[in-house]
This record gives sequence, structure tokens and C-alpha cells, in this order.
Amino acid sequence: MNEIGGAPLFFLEFGDIVIYFTPFTLALFLLALVFSVFVLVSRPERQLEIAFGGDAYYAKEISLSELRFRRFMSIACGLACMGAMVTGDVFDFTLFVSLVGICNVGIVAAVRSRHVQNAAYQYGLVALAGTVPMFAAAGMVAATTGTLSMLELAKGTATVPVAARALLVLGVMGEGMAPFYAAKAEMFRAPGAPYVIMCSLSSLLIFLRVTEVILLI
Amino acid sequence: MWNEYSIGLAAAFACALVGFLALMWEKDDLHKLLLVDLVETAALAVIALIGTDLSEALILPGLVVGIAELLALSQIYLVKEGYQHMPVKGLNIEVIMRSPATVIIATILAVYGIILSGFTGGAIAGLGIVFLLMSRSFSGDFHILEMASGISWALWVAAFFVFMFAPEWWYMALMGAAVGILMKVITKMSLVGAMWGDQG
Repeated sequence: MNEIGGAPLFFLEFGDIVIYFTPFTLALFLLALVFSVFVLVSRPERQLEIAFGGDAYYAKEISLSELRFRRFMSIACGLACMGAMVTGDVFDFTLFVSLVGICNVGIVAAVRSRHVQNAAYQYGLVALAGTVPMFAAAGMVAATTGTLSMLELAKGTATVPVAARALLVLGVMGEGMAPFYAAKAEMFRAPGAPYVIMCSLSSLLIFLRVTEVILLI
Repeated sequence: MWNEYSIGLAAAFACALVGFLALMWEKDDLHKLLLVDLVETAALAVIALIGTDLSEALILPGLVVGIAELLALSQIYLVKEGYQHMPVKGLNIEVIMRSPATVIIATILAVYGIILSGFTGGAIAGLGIVFLLMSRSFSGDFHILEMASGISWALWVAAFFVFMFAPEWWYMALMGAAVGILMKVITKMSLVGAMWGDQG
């Protein structure tokens, strides 16, 4: 078998759906876990605004409900990321990635500001469009090879068509566009910090994992 | 090369392409959202082309993810455009509000749904209850419905554990899963029907 991420260390079988860790995916999983814990314990950044006409500034208050929503979305994003890192099933992978997409929309949209909401909406459209090639790719893998298990596909007995691989990468790219829109709405400094870091991290992780999946199957 | 699968795939991708082209030209945000949802259907068509039981099992989660994103985006659209939430109390059509026809239709749908059982049955029975609740502008306490939904979901999950760990009890698990998903879909849909006038 073709071992891109190193020899698998551990298998957890649920019927034909296998969760497995290789040194590569284990590292990505731990990264997602550590950052989920970081967002769990961190306090939100308060945006500073300058008062016009005076030598003063004030910090914007973030209400408890808004804080809770953002934190919940970031942790959900972390969990979806962890799932996408360790799953051994192509369709489950696409589902987890689209879940990451939804959570990222939630993280960006939690900031009550018009230009941020606009960016969140645009990103949401891209993410929703990204699910089309992604699910199509998973469907084509199942239809042409008869299996969705990465471990089975890694044996190399059936070849996955190049079109399916390309669509999978295209779809994951669509879902992983969150940092682009977060940067567009200037979210990295104050509105949404530090939770917006989960957008960047999750996009990075799903890009790394999809590369491994493409090389593996 | 050009077997049935390839032709179907070409047709589905052609549909998706038309959808994406429309999306490129469209400028209105709300229309974009509707078009994206239309394109999403093409992805479900590609999954459906697998043509086995597996495709049904894959379409359901795909559909759920699509609907979840659609709901999230429409909520963002409302906030972004600053539209106020208008409380709607019932359908406000006299025939539907007064006559016993709604009760009869709802009963037929509920009974037919229970006979069908499973996910489809749950959806049909739930539709009947949604119709009844919407027409009667029912207001009350929904904690029991929520609890029933939670318990039936737990029953469904428990049935799947029986499938995995004690396959010889499969018939009991099958019944448990069928009843569980039926109850869950009915209660979830009636909650949707009852809450549509409330502040979301």
C-alpha cells in the first residue's frame, strides 16, 4: 500500500468506516486539538475606537451571547477539522470539510458589522458552491471504483479518475476560502479576534489533508 | 466510453455549468443565493447517478449540509440587509382557519406517514402536523416535543449500536431505528411548523 503520511499507527473501525491515524494526520489532528483548546480558554479581543473631536478612545464591549456564539462556532470548527483529519472515508471527509465551511461562515458572520456581514455572505456563497464539485467528486469516486474507503483505494487496485481528484481539490479550495474573506473584512486585528484564527488554521489543515488524500487514492 | 453513467454525468455537469454561468451574470444577492441552491441540486444528481442504495445514504447528508448552509446564509442575508422579522400568526386564510378540512388532511398524512415509517414516513407525517399547526396558529409549550425528539434520536442511535455490536438482534434494531427516525422527523418538523411565527 501507498503510504504517503507514514505507516498507519492506529485503526478505529466502525463497520466499513475506518478512522485511522498516520504520523502525518496525527500531527494535523493534534494541531487542531491544541488550537481548539486555545480558543476555549482565550478571551475575545476588544476593538478600540477613537472618539472624534477629543483625545480619547473607548473599547467596544462584546456581549456574553455574542462571545458564546463565536466560541461555540470556533470549537465546532475545531471538532469538524479533527474529524476531517482522521477520517478514512472520502465521503465523510467531504462532509467534515463542508462542516468546517459552515462553521467558518458562522465565525465570520458572528461579528455584527455590515462590511463583515457582506464578506460572510460572499464567503458563504463560495462555500455553498464549493460543495457541488466536492460531493460530485465523492459520488464519482464511489461510482467508478465501488468504494469510498481511502484504505481500499490506497491499495491501487482501482484507479480514481483524474476529473474526480480535480473536483475534490476544487471543492476543498472553495470551502477553504475563509481567510481570504476574513482578510478582506480586516478581521484579523480586532473584530472576531482571536476566534478568527480558527478560519486560517482550518483552511490550512483541510488543504494539507486533501493533498494527502489526493496522493493516497 | 459513452455508457449510461457517462451520459448522466455529462448531463448533470451541463446543468451545473448552466447554473454557474447564471451565477456569474447575476448581480442581486438574493438571486445568487437561490441560484447556488439550484446548482447544489446538480451535485445531488451526480451522487444519485451511483444508482445503488449507497447513493440514497449519501444524498441525505449532502442535502442536510446544503440546507444548513442555505439557512445560515439566508439568516446572514436578513441581518446584512437589515430586514426586520415580521411575526406571522398562522396562514390567515379563512377556509383553512375555520373548516375541519385541515384536521382531516393532517390526519390522513399522519396515518399514511406512520404506515410508511422511516425517514420518508416521518417527513410525511410531520408535514401533516406542520400544516395543522400553521393553520391553527397554535401557541403553547414545546418542551415535551423537544424531549420526544431527543429521546427518539437516542433510540435511533442505540439501534445503530445494536446493528454494530449485536447483529443477531437486527430485527429489533431495525424496528427501533424505523420508529426512532419516524418520531424524530415528525417532532422536528412540527417544531418547525410551530416556531415559524416566533422570533428565530
